[in-house]
Amino acid sequence: MGSDLDRQIEMLKACKPLPEADVKTLCMKAREILIEEGNVQCIDAPVTICGDIHGQFWDMLELFKTAGDCPQTSYLFMGDFVDRGYFSVETFLLLLAMKVRWPDRVCLIRGNHESRQITQVYGFYDECTRKYGSPTVWRYCTDVFDYLSLGAIIDGRVFCVHGGLSPALPSLDMIRGLERRVEVPHEGPMCDLLWSDPDEINGWGLSPRGAGFLFGAEPTKAFLHNNSLDLISRAHQLAMEGYKLMFERMIVTVWSAPNYCYRCGNVAAVLELDEHLGQEYKVFEHAPMDVRSIPARRPPAEYFL
Amino acid sequence: MDSGFPTDDVAPIAILMDELRSEDVQLRLNAIHSIPTIALALGPDRARQELIPFLQDSVDDEDEVLLALAEELGGFEEYIGGKEHTHILLGPLENLSAVEETLVRDKAAESINKLAASLSPAQIEEFYIPLLKRLSSGEWFTSRTSSAALYAAVYPKVSPAIQDDLRKGYAALGADDTPMVRRAAAKWLGSLIKQLSSAHVLSDGLPIYRRLQGDDQDSVRLLTVEDLIAIAQSLSPAEVKDQLLKQIRGSITDKSWRVRYMAASHFNELAEAVGTELVREELIGHFVQLLKDNEAEVRTAAAGQIPAFSKQLEREVILARVVPCVRDLSTDTSQHVRAALANQICGLAPLLAREATTEHLLPLFLHLLKDDFPEVRLNIISKLETVNDVIGIEMLSENLLPAIVELAEDKSWRVRQAIIEYIPLLAKQLGRTFFDAQLSNLCMSWLGDTVYSIREAATVNLRKLIEVFGLDWARTAIVPRVMGMGSHPNYLFRMTTVQAITIIAPALDLEVIRGEIVDPLLQLAGDAIPNIRFNVAKALEVVGKSYNTTAEGQALVSQRIKPALEQLSKDPDADVQYFASRGLKNVK
Repeated sequence: MGSDLDRQIEMLKACKPLPEADVKTLCMKAREILIEEGNVQCIDAPVTICGDIHGQFWDMLELFKTAGDCPQTSYLFMGDFVDRGYFSVETFLLLLAMKVRWPDRVCLIRGNHESRQITQVYGFYDECTRKYGSPTVWRYCTDVFDYLSLGAIIDGRVFCVHGGLSPALPSLDMIRGLERRVEVPHEGPMCDLLWSDPDEINGWGLSPRGAGFLFGAEPTKAFLHNNSLDLISRAHQLAMEGYKLMFERMIVTVWSAPNYCYRCGNVAAVLELDEHLGQEYKVFEHAPMDVRSIPARRPPAEYFL
Repeated sequence: MDSGFPTDDVAPIAILMDELRSEDVQLRLNAIHSIPTIALALGPDRARQELIPFLQDSVDDEDEVLLALAEELGGFEEYIGGKEHTHILLGPLENLSAVEETLVRDKAAESINKLAASLSPAQIEEFYIPLLKRLSSGEWFTSRTSSAALYAAVYPKVSPAIQDDLRKGYAALGADDTPMVRRAAAKWLGSLIKQLSSAHVLSDGLPIYRRLQGDDQDSVRLLTVEDLIAIAQSLSPAEVKDQLLKQIRGSITDKSWRVRYMAASHFNELAEAVGTELVREELIGHFVQLLKDNEAEVRTAAAGQIPAFSKQLEREVILARVVPCVRDLSTDTSQHVRAALANQICGLAPLLAREATTEHLLPLFLHLLKDDFPEVRLNIISKLETVNDVIGIEMLSENLLPAIVELAEDKSWRVRQAIIEYIPLLAKQLGRTFFDAQLSNLCMSWLGDTVYSIREAATVNLRKLIEVFGLDWARTAIVPRVMGMGSHPNYLFRMTTVQAITIIAPALDLEVIRGEIVDPLLQLAGDAIPNIRFNVAKALEVVGKSYNTTAEGQALVSQRIKPALEQLSKDPDADVQYFASRGLKNVK
């Protein structure tokens, strides 16, 4: 199976988008693999956990330079591959091609931006139509989004999810029981997993985002205890130092988009879990300017919106 | 419905016209790039009669499409029946030379110049010269701007009378009201000067140049520096001194820093063109001034010229005039100036010879090696070989080492990586004893670096070091330490061992492989982590491929390596199976 995909991966690593026909085949293959995976995908340590990428393609290559190439290093990406950066197409397709090439070494779970509605507002849709002349590629990709897992569990001890917990989902088994192959709903348990944030509050609170909840140390502790877990690893929120541990190290936010939106000045990090689940946070910076992080020719202004 | 033509006759041009009318720019662009194919289909006659006139009328499009058209036309003569018809391509290109977008105009001018090479003198007089006159006297500045680029290519091919006209025409461009046109005149004057006889350089070229050199726009003046060099090259030193001294001084001391910057970055060329006498009397003083300029950009440009310009000076002059400036620049407030200096300063060593280098330059090297900015330090290290040749390694290494160690531990991994890349070169220069005592620990520590790229570079570095110091050294200094990491409790270290084996194995010999490598490697084939196991499969493939050329090697392959790969090809993990099967296939 290797050679065609290997060639596509090489192309994508040079930030060249694939022809539309190749995207179609790739997305079909990806769906075949993803449909077999559980809502909560079980994976083995060692694995390197990554947070939001947001189309910052060259910065994702920095990530690989820091933490190692796939398949040598096994990866778990916790969603938000697309939107905001200039290279959502190349970023998502590279991750997807890696997933298809090395299904046991790469795990992709869904973020709140892996949604038809959100991507029409935050850039991925426009980027697809600009680069391909039609929304077909966007349609292929968003169809794949519906098949992505909602979470992952590493060696039975570390739960990974894009946003956080849901008051309607006290146990992992209840997450396993959700029907996930839908567009991300506006509310409800599946929405909460992709939208919630931890916060220094008691119990549960309303989220200022308008979707998901805020959850405090108590629900976190209860979830860990009831499901025999050590740690929740999530993404979804910018962490200036690349990662942020909360609630006495019960939960960690991992953020992998350095200099977010090309202007926030933050560093990024990945979490390397070794074979004994030891945590090592690898911090990295954005790609140097000479590695070209912004396209030479800016996209044309959209006068007709 | 029957149009009277067989359909495949009409088709090509109709399709092109259809595609050129498409809404989609990409389609129109593709259509332009396919015009050679269409011309082939039409044959040369119809290409001339139908395609070219059609293209001439399609100048109303996106710049991107016009740019493509301008480019295609430059190589189009083979499709329209060869040289005798080349001139008809000038038509569409003339239109393109007058559009608003500079990129399109430049490309059109480039294509016209390309075609000019194959035009006969008759074609030039009949078609090219009238075109040049139309463009030069165009109402809108765009065509006049384009015309400046078109004089030099045909000047030597026309009669003296037309040459007179051309020189007059160019002089008019140089005195144009629009600065854009004068800028183009300044830009292309140098290439026209090269075609003029020395009498005409003096009578015509010089006045045009002088006028532009004194222009009130600095964007015009800065382009005259290259004209100055071209003129100086075609005059004798005495003439240069008589005719150009004022302008030389003017450009170098211009009140606009952009002009001074231009002069500084072309200083050596200028010096070579004006001859030794003027260098000594005049230019050395100006050079010192540029090295002390108020603007960092000018100092950076001048610093870049130091060794090349100094080659034209005597050693005493370098010591008396240039070295004091170099000393000042080494503490310049701008890191870009210091980086440029660091890049060039080593080039002075061969000019000064050993004693003066040690006395004057070595302290500056050491100072720059301690610079706060890594780029400055790296620039010094990358050029040390030149200095080494002059003063010898001992003196250098004594002072060099602390700076290298510091860079090797820099917090930016790209700086560490750059240093690793210099290690084999340094190793060659420093020799084994010194290396073992001072640098080998450092090289080993990179194998455990937190950044993957550094660990990877560290393994490649080991292989290069083996090539420098040989197998005995590898056996005692490298192999035991690499293999030692293979039983580390953290899988990343074990992984580094396996990857290092993959890289260095081809540089070792069968005895080392058999004695020190194979057993621990096969042990790792049973590692709990699948990522380790499939890297072992890759390592086994490399070892197998590198050592199956001798009978003994084949025994190793068939007794140890193949059975291990077969075992791995039945692994529960799909990726281990994949790499093991690939290994079995490639190790025959």
